[in-house]
Amino acid sequence: MRPLLALVLLLQAFHSNLAHAAERHLELVVTQPYLEMHSGPGRGFPIVYVAERDELITVLFSRTEWYKVRAPRGQEGWVRRADLALTTLTSGEPAPIPPYPEFSTHHWEVGAGYGVYNRENLVTAYGDYSLTDSIDAEFVVQQALGTLDNRYITTIGLRHTFVPEWKWFSPTAGLGAGYQYIDDKVPPAPRDKSNEMAYVSLGVRGFITRRFMWRADWRHYVVFNNLNVSEELEEWKLGFAVFF
Amino acid sequence: METRLCSVLLAAALLAGCSWFHRGEQAPTQIVAEDPQGQPSVIEPQVNRRDVKTPKIKAKDFEVGAYFGALSVQDFGTNPVYGIRLAYHVSEDLFVEGYAAYSKAGQSSLEEVFPQITVLSSSGRQFTYYDLDVGYNVLPGEIFLGRGRAFNSALYVTFGIGDVKFADQDQFALNFGVGARILVTDWLALHMDVRDHIFESNLFGVDKNVDNIEATLGLTTFF
Repeated sequence: MRPLLALVLLLQAFHSNLAHAAERHLELVVTQPYLEMHSGPGRGFPIVYVAERDELITVLFSRTEWYKVRAPRGQEGWVRRADLALTTLTSGEPAPIPPYPEFSTHHWEVGAGYGVYNRENLVTAYGDYSLTDSIDAEFVVQQALGTLDNRYITTIGLRHTFVPEWKWFSPTAGLGAGYQYIDDKVPPAPRDKSNEMAYVSLGVRGFITRRFMWRADWRHYVVFNNLNVSEELEEWKLGFAVFF
Repeated sequence: METRLCSVLLAAALLAGCSWFHRGEQAPTQIVAEDPQGQPSVIEPQVNRRDVKTPKIKAKDFEVGAYFGALSVQDFGTNPVYGIRLAYHVSEDLFVEGYAAYSKAGQSSLEEVFPQITVLSSSGRQFTYYDLDVGYNVLPGEIFLGRGRAFNSALYVTFGIGDVKFADQDQFALNFGVGARILVTDWLALHMDVRDHIFESNLFGVDKNVDNIEATLGLTTFF
């Protein structure tokens, strides 16, 4: 029981710290004939209160595409993003509800997925920053889990999206450099435990919903080792990503 | 000589410092207007520019917390498991989640029947895992406690991949789960999860898929 109590207290402290930082809330005026407030942040939750035109509502915080608001007499509820975007500031300017990031022009992307690297199962995670509409810098961390060894791979590279405005399916190509560390399971031990690598990649990506997308990639690695012939490896992967 | 040079330099530095501190203070601009009698009058504008800052709306899409429960390691009994989780809610339906946990497996039936046999060392009994999951809120709704209280809740399913380290070996693992999230307040959630971690093991000489089912209770906070 004591660890649980400690955890609750810790979470409480953590939360109250955050709450303190944002005590001033945004106030908006309802300009449409009415504004529906739901009991929860989802399309199926019942409407528990309807704010009237010219009422001043306080926006407390947001969760996904829903906003928790408080009406003047204290009733609280959740408002859909699209409905809240129709309200105005007290000065009459439009409500500062940020639009959803555009798929073709988003800046940040974080994703993870499954793949096959050198015939080993691969768990991959990546972060990606758009330098321009079509060129991204990507940083990848992955773990390959095989029967003979486990490998930890990290790469950094550039990726070009050929037609960024194609939403559902757009081809990509990239190149970069990386590093792998081999943790061998079965003897004999590898000659080098760690190698530098370079890669070229081809892939496709597409939009799924809102801020969710998929990516499939093929990579060809050249591993720089101490032998006369460089080792070459292949990788396939499929992942899902969230963009901001 | 040196002392004098020092004091001169110091004075220069102080002067420079003072002028730096006063860099923003410019003499007020005086607007001189001619009045009809030909007497110049001085008007000093007193109006300060007001910067109106609209408060930002805080997004609370991240969820962080810890969980505790029972993990049944196939062939090695059921043992306590402790884990941490971090989730990001993408939409009202979808979320992505990462978590990591620790448990220690018990004795296998073989070891219980024949105590002289040791299948695993003490470090080999440590069972740790991490997973990257996608979750879908299948049944969002409300849970009622008596007449006057309702808590938002969701029944969700998760699927993901990750790594299980058991018997001193890292194994690729799949996981499937079903869970319930009950929001006690807007920022505190109670989770109940049942999850299966499946991986291939050849600990007893044959390759087989082992199911490691866990049931956990967790607390998370949204931020």
